[in-house]
Amino acid sequence: MSAVPQTVALPRTFALGPRAQRTLIRIATGVILLFLWEVLVRWLAPPFVARPVTIARALPHVLAGHVPLATPPFWGSVEATVIAVFEGLAIGTVAGVLVGLTMGRLRLADRLLRFYLNAFFAMPILAMVPLMTLWLGFSGSVRLAIVSLGAFLPICLNVYDGTRSLPANYVEVAQSYHARWWNVWFGIALPASLPYVLAGFRLAVGRVLVGATVAEYIVSLKGLGYLIVYDGRTFHQPVMMVAVLVLALLGVAINVAADVATRRLLPWYRRSE
Amino acid sequence: MTTSSERLRGSLVSVAGLIVGAGIWELVGRHTQQSSFAPFSKTISALWGMTKSGQLPRALESSLELFGAGLGIAIVLGFFIGLLLARMRTLRIGLEPYILMLYATPMFALIPFILSLFGFEFRAKVIVVALFGIWPILINTLEGARSVNLDLLEVARSYRSTEPKLWRHVIIPYTLPYTMTGVRQGIARSLIGVIASEYLLAATGLGNLILTYTNQFDAAHVLAAVLVITLVATLLMMLGRAIENYFARWKAGV
Repeated sequence: MSAVPQTVALPRTFALGPRAQRTLIRIATGVILLFLWEVLVRWLAPPFVARPVTIARALPHVLAGHVPLATPPFWGSVEATVIAVFEGLAIGTVAGVLVGLTMGRLRLADRLLRFYLNAFFAMPILAMVPLMTLWLGFSGSVRLAIVSLGAFLPICLNVYDGTRSLPANYVEVAQSYHARWWNVWFGIALPASLPYVLAGFRLAVGRVLVGATVAEYIVSLKGLGYLIVYDGRTFHQPVMMVAVLVLALLGVAINVAADVATRRLLPWYRRSE
Repeated sequence: MTTSSERLRGSLVSVAGLIVGAGIWELVGRHTQQSSFAPFSKTISALWGMTKSGQLPRALESSLELFGAGLGIAIVLGFFIGLLLARMRTLRIGLEPYILMLYATPMFALIPFILSLFGFEFRAKVIVVALFGIWPILINTLEGARSVNLDLLEVARSYRSTEPKLWRHVIIPYTLPYTMTGVRQGIARSLIGVIASEYLLAATGLGNLILTYTNQFDAAHVLAAVLVITLVATLLMMLGRAIENYFARWKAGV
């Protein structure tokens, strides 16, 4: 019941589409957050603490590879961490799928290993890093071991859950057609648990990034984790924050890639959560 | 259909698995250097020694205190911010991408920044632990509060339920199971935060125990500390799952 007569044309210049409106709100919020950060740090914190302005000023130099003297190289660190993260995700995914399938299909393996899997999954993997330095020395193997383990556990647990929730009649139908065990494992159980693999993969990405950076810090390995702590301690905070930004982007990018892969490869699967 | 004898056999196999694991641990430990690995028996005696000297209980208490304070803050803030964002559309749309980005950032990377703002004592470590734990709690609460069944709200409104009553009797009970799923994930993440902050900020608690004995190449004591962390973590996860199930109990019948 509006008082405005129907014939009067309302000015439409300010009517943004819902999409544009969203983007505008998001950009505005971002600007406000950056402004608050800038003002609060300038006002309350010591001058070496990173602010958006100093980070923006450092950004082109760091991206061009010019870091302050005697600090770790930027792109070399990025490369080392990215390679370790992908190696760990690859090893962890393959091993996690195989062990998870085995535990889901063989009751003996399930009963023998279930306790270990749950305990290792619950434990913060960081607690293992110093121990690994005793086993493997102060080398890149520590990072690789931590990263692989960090990816293995969530994927294995998820595949195990996925395989166990496999509808029994799938297997029964297959068996009535004389399917061999490998047909059941790799032809039925594995495809059915693919959504679980992806859910585990998402969990794994977070764990792997933390694992890689902490291992780099404790072992003093070239990588983003080491660079962040080193630059943080030597009052090069803007450079440090660029590295943090790269890590955040890496995390987001892998998750987005996993999402796109889910939609392209598993169109029949919709997340119910 | 599992009969009780079958279940008994199942748990026997699990126990056998544990005994075999301890046996392998013992055997491997006896044939490796003392500085890198220790047999099960030596680990247990190291555990006993640290318990008797009061070192382990003190470390455990300090770590759990940090964990409790950080997770507590994460739960309270995560729950209220989640509800607030579910209610305020503009704020939610504006903050959503930044929250998801922080969720994806390894919080470890922000520790040096927090160090420069808040120092390296207990306060800074609590902030780190809370930052590790808050995101799943916040996001799950937000999802839960947004998915409240409209029928429920309409029925409550048609009986002239006031806004505070609507919250108390419909929205919050509906949201809590979602929050508790987030809390379970938050427990695991906060625990990582405890160890990470004990490594990087003032070294205390179980993290300090691990670092100290690693520097002394004393594998038995390191293994004992890792064992304690694993046990504590497993217990906390079981507790988290129990809390989650308790709050989700009304969902089971639907």
